[in-house]
Amino acid sequence: MEIRPILSALLRNKTGPILVALQVALSLAILANAAHIVNERRAVAARPSGLSDEHSTFYITVRSLSNDTPEQQLANIKRQTALLRAVGGVASVAHVSQMPLSRSGSNTSVAVDPRQDKPSAVASQFVSGDSLVQTFGLKLVEGRDFLPAELLDIDTDTTSDPPPQVILTKPLADKLWPDQPAVGKTMYFGTGKDSRGVQVVGVVQALMSAHGEVGERGEQSVLMPGRLYGSEPVVLYALRTEPGQRDRVMKEAEDALHKSSATPMITKMKTVDEDRKDRYRADVALQWMLVTVSVLLLLITASGIVGMASLWVTQRRKQIGVRRALGARKTDILRYFITENFMITSAGVFGGVALGLALNQLLVSKLEMARLPAGYLVFGALGFWLLGVAAAYGPAWRAASISPATATRSV
Amino acid sequence: MFGYYFKLGVRSLRRNPALTALMVLTLAVGVAASVSTLTILHMMSSDPIPQKSSRLFVPLIDNGPVEGYTPGEDPDDIQISYKDAVNLLKGGQGVRRTALYGVSAPIQPPRADIQPFNLSGLAPSRDFFAMFDVPFIHGQAWTEQDETRGADVVVLSREIAEKLYGDANPVGQRVMLMGFPFTIVGVIDNWMPLPRFYRLNGGARYGAGEEFFIPFATSIRHELTHNGSMSCSGNPGAGFAARLASECTWITVWFETAAASDRADLQAWLDNYAADQRKLGRLKRNAVNRLYDVPEWLVFTKVVGKDSKLQTWLAFGFLVLCLVNTVGLLLAKFSVRASEIGVRRALGASRADIFRQFLIETGVVGLVGGVLGLVLAFGALALISMQGKQTAAVAHMDWQMLFVTFVMSVGAAVLAGLLPTWRACQVTPAIQLKSQ
Repeated sequence: MEIRPILSALLRNKTGPILVALQVALSLAILANAAHIVNERRAVAARPSGLSDEHSTFYITVRSLSNDTPEQQLANIKRQTALLRAVGGVASVAHVSQMPLSRSGSNTSVAVDPRQDKPSAVASQFVSGDSLVQTFGLKLVEGRDFLPAELLDIDTDTTSDPPPQVILTKPLADKLWPDQPAVGKTMYFGTGKDSRGVQVVGVVQALMSAHGEVGERGEQSVLMPGRLYGSEPVVLYALRTEPGQRDRVMKEAEDALHKSSATPMITKMKTVDEDRKDRYRADVALQWMLVTVSVLLLLITASGIVGMASLWVTQRRKQIGVRRALGARKTDILRYFITENFMITSAGVFGGVALGLALNQLLVSKLEMARLPAGYLVFGALGFWLLGVAAAYGPAWRAASISPATATRSV
Repeated sequence: MFGYYFKLGVRSLRRNPALTALMVLTLAVGVAASVSTLTILHMMSSDPIPQKSSRLFVPLIDNGPVEGYTPGEDPDDIQISYKDAVNLLKGGQGVRRTALYGVSAPIQPPRADIQPFNLSGLAPSRDFFAMFDVPFIHGQAWTEQDETRGADVVVLSREIAEKLYGDANPVGQRVMLMGFPFTIVGVIDNWMPLPRFYRLNGGARYGAGEEFFIPFATSIRHELTHNGSMSCSGNPGAGFAARLASECTWITVWFETAAASDRADLQAWLDNYAADQRKLGRLKRNAVNRLYDVPEWLVFTKVVGKDSKLQTWLAFGFLVLCLVNTVGLLLAKFSVRASEIGVRRALGASRADIFRQFLIETGVVGLVGGVLGLVLAFGALALISMQGKQTAAVAHMDWQMLFVTFVMSVGAAVLAGLLPTWRACQVTPAIQLKSQ
């Protein structure tokens, strides 16, 4: 239809259209990448921890001030575990070496074959003398939980060998033995002559690592049966309460511990909810920043389009009047401006797709971000076409409403 | 003439308040976004000890296993083993040297009204305080004899000292740490380098100080475990003695040389040491022995997070968009005033005069936008610092950044004004006057 005259009019006065197209291109490039990053961070923060009821789970760390012998410490651990179990509203208690998402804990390298040069995977190790499957509420998908006889007391001052059985998370089991059942297999801690073989007795659906790393590392955990005592002066108990009773139980559990001890002790409590919040604090902050910038970006781009379109309408009042006087209908004028804007926006969108890909390439190579899926650019392009039309509609309508009589009066 | 143009500019801006407000706001938002992210990046990557950062060195000796090692690879950890740390201390290189690792210990306050609590701090050897210019308010570092004997002495932070003893000088007092009586030999003033470059393992890298210091040798004697990370290539065996004898890495060593140029000597000595250790059957990877000064160390350990860089880049992209938008708006504004320019030109104003007048007008927009942007940036930084202690430590502006912001915003506005101003100068008076 009338694309050709519009194009030649645009080419006559290039600066304005170029500026608008540039704005659209920049906005699209930034917005597509920002949306991608926001979605990625949200997905990371939404990964399940594997705990059946995170809101009802918390932990207490206890540090005794009397320099106990290892045997005294073991007796204390057993006594305190029983004490915590007796608190009303407690569903399950476990003495454990670390908590998921707490950002403090140890990793170990594991291998399928001790003769490998490099270990097969790195796993976060949860050592507990109680049933973590019960306390965390983990979902067993294969094999069984540790038997009571397998839960050993281990003095870390004299023993460094791992207990002979382990339970793995499904992602770790799949990584070690893809497409094969893991139960019954022998896994090795470390490689070479120092490595120790252990038997896999069970696989749980999920248990997030202590550090909650991004990627597969965050989902590779190994559970080991053992009540560790001796060298580590701080003892950690994980507790799951009946739903909704966490806050009350926390207070009572701490009081019970302090009352039960003649010597002073230092206790600290933290909920899994708090740990989760702390772990993803930076990601949430980044998301907020990106969302804020994106909203501002859209507002500014829209205002830019409206501003430029209004200016063109003002500048061309006389021409519009002449066209109207010569028989153009309101819709013709409206269509002219919408089409013109659509052409400018299209140029911007194509530039934006190219710029967005370039920006993503830069982020991938310099900051090791993930590659941008095409969907973001497609949706972004559609969005900006709509935005362009919507923003141009107001000024175009005003142009169409110009009455031929007043517009041509001064000619 | 400047004053007159300035007045004209202000008047012209007031003539069209909506458009002016839009321009100023656009500019302000762009400036605020880029300035607040840049401030954080600047604070994160600033030199924590500028007076001697080129004379302080961290050695990194790769003692990892040779299996699965590709030559040229980075070491598995950024710390070194106890064996190497002790040997490097004994070597006596540089004018000062220290070995350190993070520790935590329970303290029983002398006052009955304060419950026992955990302290987290550092176990460095004596030179630490002088090397890193740690300021004392009471007493001083422990003596050389205390260090060699592994005496039970402690240096407290100001915060802890005030909590336990109020304003009194606690030097000479005894306090129960880990169930043992420790003698307080000094109290340091508030000291919190950004980032905590001397120990990048364990705890926050920003916004965290040390609550207490005990001698390295004392900490080892009490078998205090590290409050940070440890990397072991094999099973170190059970107990503390096995850990000391193992190749596990959990200690950081620093050297101070008299001049930055002494680096070559230190490197040569380090290479010599590593060669000797290889003769004893250690350090099988035969990797290059590394030495980093403070700025190099911060780069190697990737102290500045990728997210901070990402935010800064995107914020600058946003600023560019705001500038493009402002260019468009200014173009629109100036194009309406073609007739005014025509009259001025016909009355004898040169192109340079017009150029100056309009540039000053855009300068006014830049100034207002910059000031508003600065206010917004302060607001954004305040919002960011509410997120936690770590971010609060880096989210505040210094004079340098304030100046940068100002120059940036006015510069940006003038840059944005150049094209519209140039276009305004091109107005031919004859055509304009004819169409009047």
